[in-house]
Amino acid sequence: MKIVVCIKQVPATGADKRYTDDLTLDRTSVDAIINPLDEYAIEQALRLADAGTADSVTYLSMGPDQAAEALRRALAMGGDDAVLITDAALAGADEWATAKVLAAALDKLAPDVALMGMASDDARGSLVPGAVAAMRNVPLLSYGSELAIDGDAARVRRLSATGFDWITAPLPVVATVTDQVGEPRYASLKGIMAAKRKPLETWGVADIGLSADDLNGAALTVVTDARPPEEKAPTERIENLPATEAATKIADWLAARKLI
Amino acid sequence: MSNDILFLAEFAAGTPARSALELATGAAELASQSGGSAIGLAYGAGASEGAAALGAHGAARAIVLGNEDRPAITYAPALVAAARDAGLALLAPATPNGRDLAAAVVGSLHVPAFGPVRAVRIADGVVESEQATLQGSVVTTSRPADGAPSPSIVLVLANTFTPAEGGTGSAEVSPAPAAEESALARATVAESHEAEAKVVNLEEATIIVAGGRGVASEEGFAPLRALAEVLGGAVGASRAAADAGWIPYQLQIGQTGKVVKPALYIGAGISGAIQHRVGMQTAEHVVAINKDPDAPIGEFADLFVVGDLFQIIPALTEEIRRRKGA
Amino acid sequence: MTYLLTTDHDELRAVVRELAEERIAPRAAEIDEKAEFPWDLKELLAKQDLLGTCFEEKHGGTNLDTIGQSILAEEIARADATTSLIPIVQKLGALPIMLAGTDEQKDRYFPRLASGEWLAAFGLTEAAAGSDVASNRMRATRDGDDYVLNGSKRFITHGSVANLLTVFALTDPEAGGRKGMSAFIVEADTPGFAAPRVEHKMGIRGSPTAELTFDDARVPVANRLGEEGEGFKIAMATLDRSRLGIAAQAVGIAQGALDAAIGYAADRQQFGQRVVDFEGIQFMLADMASQTEAARQLTYAAAARVDAQASDLPYWTSSAKLVAGDTAMRVTTDAVQVLGGYGYITEYPVERMMRDAKITQLYEGTQQIQRLIIARQLLQRAGVANRG
Repeated sequence: MKIVVCIKQVPATGADKRYTDDLTLDRTSVDAIINPLDEYAIEQALRLADAGTADSVTYLSMGPDQAAEALRRALAMGGDDAVLITDAALAGADEWATAKVLAAALDKLAPDVALMGMASDDARGSLVPGAVAAMRNVPLLSYGSELAIDGDAARVRRLSATGFDWITAPLPVVATVTDQVGEPRYASLKGIMAAKRKPLETWGVADIGLSADDLNGAALTVVTDARPPEEKAPTERIENLPATEAATKIADWLAARKLI
Repeated sequence: MSNDILFLAEFAAGTPARSALELATGAAELASQSGGSAIGLAYGAGASEGAAALGAHGAARAIVLGNEDRPAITYAPALVAAARDAGLALLAPATPNGRDLAAAVVGSLHVPAFGPVRAVRIADGVVESEQATLQGSVVTTSRPADGAPSPSIVLVLANTFTPAEGGTGSAEVSPAPAAEESALARATVAESHEAEAKVVNLEEATIIVAGGRGVASEEGFAPLRALAEVLGGAVGASRAAADAGWIPYQLQIGQTGKVVKPALYIGAGISGAIQHRVGMQTAEHVVAINKDPDAPIGEFADLFVVGDLFQIIPALTEEIRRRKGA
Repeated sequence: MTYLLTTDHDELRAVVRELAEERIAPRAAEIDEKAEFPWDLKELLAKQDLLGTCFEEKHGGTNLDTIGQSILAEEIARADATTSLIPIVQKLGALPIMLAGTDEQKDRYFPRLASGEWLAAFGLTEAAAGSDVASNRMRATRDGDDYVLNGSKRFITHGSVANLLTVFALTDPEAGGRKGMSAFIVEADTPGFAAPRVEHKMGIRGSPTAELTFDDARVPVANRLGEEGEGFKIAMATLDRSRLGIAAQAVGIAQGALDAAIGYAADRQQFGQRVVDFEGIQFMLADMASQTEAARQLTYAAAARVDAQASDLPYWTSSAKLVAGDTAMRVTTDAVQVLGGYGYITEYPVERMMRDAKITQLYEGTQQIQRLIIARQLLQRAGVANRG
């Protein structure tokens, strides 16, 4: 059973991010890390590999050359090999273009499970997994707190309004998992050393049967303005008061705003 | 291309989800700006029976995609068929089901997608949206590129639109057009487990009292429950409290949980890390109680109370009870 | 000779720092307060392959260069000095075997040390023999295929938690410590061996510093390291290398204190401005930073010489330990000063770092011993006879 985990390299949280003059995200300006939510997908895949359920785990990422770092870091956690799709034609790709590229690459890699995190930290792209499933015409099993394989079907444990369900679909599938999978493992020192020797291939769009034209005009949304959010009124503080006095002040504050 | 505004209307056990009513209201607003109609795309158990009532919240028409209790994603093929070229915009809730369906439409029809938005309007005949990106540090305004196919997908957070009360219209109901075969329809529920206690849908709450690591135990939530009760609100939590097993995951607020927009959010024993913040930062009023004077939540709260939550919350509950004369 | 810091070193530092900040630093205050050995962190380090960095790959280690091992110790010590002793003492306890053991002895014990399944300790010091190693009194009497050990050791780091100890005892009391001492591998479950007591200390309180007693404890001849009478030489050669671990620890402690001081000063406001904007504070921080960096670079230079098996290796490692230890004491004391009253209370980490720093001026050879070693080499180079 073969798993491909799609990961994304993103700017580190809290770093000083900004938009460039042409209103695209300036990705070179900050430290980059594996999208934290993708680490849960990596962890889930590696658990299935540890259990012998998965025979191989491959990482797939689309990004600039620098994204190879994220792939090496993933390989240091475990897994067998990685593929980076990098091409000038992909600069500024939006969610649809990303999905198209990943879908083509996944068709070429043909995994039983294409596994992803539920969203990415920076531009909040939660539509990629579903778009990939639609493009590849495979079932989508999303927002799983656990992924399991039963022979030729996969299932995910998904929170419902009132509890949880196990949703199942025949392989091959696209699946996404949440942080309820559990803490991702740290890369061990041996893992880091071994990662240097694991295969990492680089593909351009031509290698997955696409051309720049397929992706040209791919940006369907246009940002017309980017600004900092409105100034918030400064925080009011209550400190060093006994509880009853603090409670009175809080109640006054709520009453003034007609909340009680 | 029509000027209609489509919206997703999820039904469960014959009742429309609150998101369906909110989006109906929003779609009606946008339709009045565009000169078109609001059209509900209804799916789920009881959708056929309940679709007409969407008219009370502003829907002129409703298309029933299907009437069964099955995973929302299996309605994607029918949705794609119904949405193709059918309007200016398709409003979808920014929930797991809404995102899954929106994603399937983007993948199948190659349409623009926006959101989750904090505001949306029709300007110069096209969708114009405002969203916060980069964890709230930048607000961008966007519109579809020239010549982009329609409809534009707009992901909408809970409480962005408020359902109008007391409307009386009835939507004209029609069945969905034929859908193409698609593997997306192949997911089924293998097992269903209900929780013992009923779990409130936090997205519908206007007042939320949330607890975090500082609450320290399952029992520690008791004073928060008492405060929520006297305020008429719901109890929520940070991921730390959910991971510790003190409350069910359905009550987790944050990046990987629920994104809420209540009128009042009170966070007790919550430090305010970014992963939690993105789940509640659009609340109208934020009150935080924490014994750490340097907790990050103190920077974006409207009112920050430094102190012991186990003393302050019971005192506050008492004070509010007294004022309400209860 | 020069040394080079590579991207591999940078990556190692980033990985260890992440682990230290996320998992070790949050435990540091509790470890100090309860004076408990952090078994959970030992397991974590073992799992991340961080207790095997000085062992060869054939024994399950990762064979990092000495600079890499220093970076590992430094980054852990920056978060918690007690925890940094786990990899440091693992190497200290194993060094006598590395230097004088047979392949059979290495094959027998190193896999369990590299994996962290077993902990090692170094048993040299006695109550009446600290700096004066040669006046050791513990005896090892040959009896058939065994040696019978009798005596006691004091101030043995990890002596009460180690599974394996390299112990030094007199096989020929008449010949005295320099010529009559031998080295042995002792497994902790040996009958007659006990660790009855641990000390209450000023700092590194989570690290058990044990008294060891040997009461007719038998070890097989196969556990002797090298020949009889080689013990003193083995001990000195061990310390010549292991003291570099303490230098790295001291650099890490200093760095942690410096970072804490900067963080505090950038936040705290007095007299209408941030404390960090006062020139007087900036001068202090600049001195702290440049001295810490000097100690760090000297430690790496010494590490490179260890790997190059330089003939004047003791000169370098003693210099590094001397400079780094004194730097750690100075920088942590200044860090407390920068925090003012807050630096004195346990809510802030710098008072613990100051208490932790002191030991780096004392163990593995006091600063005074280091000076003697350096002076001996200096005079030798200068062709001056040492009559001291």
